[in-house]
Amino acid sequence: MKQFAALCLALALAAVPVAPAQAKDEFHLYNWNNYIAPETIKRFEEFCKCAVVQTYYSDNEELLAKLAAGARGYDLLVPTANAVEALIHGKQLLPLDKSQLPNLKNINPIYMNTSFDPGNKYSVPYAMSTTIIGYNDQKMKELGLPTDTWAVIFDPKYLEKVKGRVTVLDSANELFAAALKYLGYSANDVDEGHWKEAASVIEKAKPYWAAFNASSYIKELTVGNIWLVHGYSNDIFQANLDAQAAKRPFHILQGMPKEGAVLAVDNMVIDKDAPRPDLALKFIDFMLEGKNSAELTNLIGSGNPNLEAVKYIKPEILKNPAIFPDKAVAAKLEQLKDLTVAQRRLRNRMWTDIKAGR
Amino acid sequence: MSGPPLLYLLLFFAIPSLIMVLASFRSPGEFGGLAPFLEDGKVDLNLDSYARFFTDPVYAQIFLKSVWYALLTTLFCLALAYPLAALIAKSPQRYRDLLLLLVILPFWSNFLIRVYAWMIILGPNAALARSVNGALAWFGHEPVPLLFSSFAVLVCLVYVHLPFMVLPLYANLEKHDQALLDAAQDLGANAWQRFWRITFPLSLPGVYAGAALVFIPALGIFAIPDILGGPGDSLIGNVIKQQFLETRDWPFGSVLSIVLTVAALALAGLAAWIGRRNLGAPSSAKQARA
Amino acid sequence: MRRQPLALWVAAGAGYAFLYIPLVIVVAYSFNNSRLNAEWVGFTFDWYTRLFHDQDMLAAAGNSLLIALTASAVSTVLGTMAGVALYRQRSRLLSILVLAPIAIPEILMGVSLLIFFVLLNFTLGLVSVALAHIAFCIGFVAIVVRARLAGMDELLTEAARDCGASPWNAFRYITLPLIMPGVIAGALMAFTLSIDDFVITFFTAGAGTVTLPLQIYSMIKIAVTPEVNAVSSLLMLLTLALIIVASRLSPSLLRSE
Repeated sequence: MKQFAALCLALALAAVPVAPAQAKDEFHLYNWNNYIAPETIKRFEEFCKCAVVQTYYSDNEELLAKLAAGARGYDLLVPTANAVEALIHGKQLLPLDKSQLPNLKNINPIYMNTSFDPGNKYSVPYAMSTTIIGYNDQKMKELGLPTDTWAVIFDPKYLEKVKGRVTVLDSANELFAAALKYLGYSANDVDEGHWKEAASVIEKAKPYWAAFNASSYIKELTVGNIWLVHGYSNDIFQANLDAQAAKRPFHILQGMPKEGAVLAVDNMVIDKDAPRPDLALKFIDFMLEGKNSAELTNLIGSGNPNLEAVKYIKPEILKNPAIFPDKAVAAKLEQLKDLTVAQRRLRNRMWTDIKAGR
Repeated sequence: MSGPPLLYLLLFFAIPSLIMVLASFRSPGEFGGLAPFLEDGKVDLNLDSYARFFTDPVYAQIFLKSVWYALLTTLFCLALAYPLAALIAKSPQRYRDLLLLLVILPFWSNFLIRVYAWMIILGPNAALARSVNGALAWFGHEPVPLLFSSFAVLVCLVYVHLPFMVLPLYANLEKHDQALLDAAQDLGANAWQRFWRITFPLSLPGVYAGAALVFIPALGIFAIPDILGGPGDSLIGNVIKQQFLETRDWPFGSVLSIVLTVAALALAGLAAWIGRRNLGAPSSAKQARA
Repeated sequence: MRRQPLALWVAAGAGYAFLYIPLVIVVAYSFNNSRLNAEWVGFTFDWYTRLFHDQDMLAAAGNSLLIALTASAVSTVLGTMAGVALYRQRSRLLSILVLAPIAIPEILMGVSLLIFFVLLNFTLGLVSVALAHIAFCIGFVAIVVRARLAGMDELLTEAARDCGASPWNAFRYITLPLIMPGVIAGALMAFTLSIDDFVITFFTAGAGTVTLPLQIYSMIKIAVTPEVNAVSSLLMLLTLALIIVASRLSPSLLRSE
């Protein structure tokens, strides 16, 4: 018994040095995983003479739930627009000291001064993605299916040909937005009647879908088990890289629906209880430099609101209309707004009905 | 004996849970969390969320589906675990620990990659799906997806919970007296009779323990349907998760959780009560010998 | 070995096969030359190399091991006490308090513990995670220990007491060795639960506290690369080695008399 205890203690002590050191200045970044290039972090650490401690979340709602329950200790967060809205209303954010952000002028004005943060008091755009269609080009050509409309996800006459080979995102907000766009309404439409129409569109298409999936669908698309997805542009971009690396006979391409799609702009914000807001401001200004901002786009194919970054982005990414849409397409993209309690409850009730599966 | 664990659980379970029980009587915050407890002199306490649960049949429906899945999982786990536990229990001393460790070793790998391994096994182009669908095609039947289906969810549920059935069963079977079985054999009982009349009744406490440790957690599971479930495999665990991580409706999430917990405890209590009354298993080897 | 019926061997063999086929895939795919855990492309040691340079992943694995060892040790002690108390006293309150953490959805427990810690101004970190893990592991140990005690001859314990042994000595020298397989089984379950827990850990971890599941789950929407398979394979190997070494060092530990 004693030797066992001694062994446990020895192991515990051995594990301790592996834990991160607490010596230098620390900057706590709470971010999506793989949402900043490792080189960028290293350069920032040299620039600010501090240690960057990264923690990750994989969904805005996880971030919101944790902060709502009282978690503290994070300096900089990277929520999407509707989560920023919730945080601002919840008085969770520190106003930005613009005098410390000379590089703010690099951001494309059309992404500034949003409805949820007029004057950018609290937030600065970081990177963007769209929720669009991803497809296996070989299969879609074989089956003669269009790839520029939501109809291919919702219309049974197209779905018949890909039954069991389509997945949609497991997110009430994203799927309802797509259905509303398909019906010609705004993604932020809150009319109950329109929501009912969208729900019925979803119910009609559901029997043909393989799954509601937000976590493993990209894998299946990349290896060819699934042929058509409702997914995020970054993921689909990455899937193509992976498919090419594995020398598959098909490409995974992004399809921008002509009815429009959801645009997700992720923003840098500072938590009001941040231990080091000074480091956070330094980081924001650092990331507003074109070179640093471009690194992420080159890594994962994310959209970029920074005009200076254009110089540093790979040409093939710049040419991609799903990542850098032209004016006509951009006009049809919408950012999702947060909903009120009553609306959230209604939507969840409809979603539960859809998922209850009869 | 009961002091320290009681104290610990009161402090780190009962009190935090009471916070959420209180939350079930409050209103959700406009942008997340909970609405202020005291506003304009009025205390925010209501039965809205409970009313929603009890007046809306869809939640009971989903809950019953979860009970069904959990029950199937428990039964299949029992069927698979019993021979495993029995073999280990009857093994010579020096192999026993290793065989037991081998049962639990796979579960020290990460949950996600184990589920992904099942996605590979059940994938449409993998050997299993091809042979099943090949056989079905021979009978003129449409191909059936193994992945993104209830089948996949159940297989994974059984897989993930199996060690929690094996270990309690083993702990019980290990102490069974071989002399008892030898005596029965000498008196003419065959292998099946020895199992059904002696071994199984004596193992019932282990069976109940294993069943509790599989059924109860399986009721609240959400990750497996999320990763490889089909469109109709949404369970009560998924609905609860959505209340916290999509709708930001903490009070309703609390209500669903409380109902789930109470129901699970009630079912466990019921099973134990039935077990004590009907089966009347001899409570010790000494009694069985008499 | 006593001859067991063939049916038993076949059934047990099927059980082991069911347990190990996915594991074979997990280990094999740690050598897969593809970022995704989806199809075999080719052989490579890359992921192991990458793992040894990945400070974050290694630190996360270290944290997980540390928390799991602590949580399983404490919860085994408390759970054994609870199991014995449940068997002897049949206390309703303890029964409920022991089963409820197993029944309660993890999200609720995670959120409530987070709120609780924040109210107490308790700094979140490795300790808060360990405390949370202990809370839900106690029940598993208690249930198994109670099941092991059920049907046990308390005559031996009574006899020891009659001969003048103190309650602690009677427990230590008579009861404990008899229930040891149950205690070990409970400890193994507690360790397994702790090392792989995500939801509760997510809510009770502090800023900068990363355990292996937290690290891995954050990759879920991009790609859970074979680096995860590599770290899992190594962790399994390490833990197995640890236990084998421990059982060699104290052979009486895992035996029941």
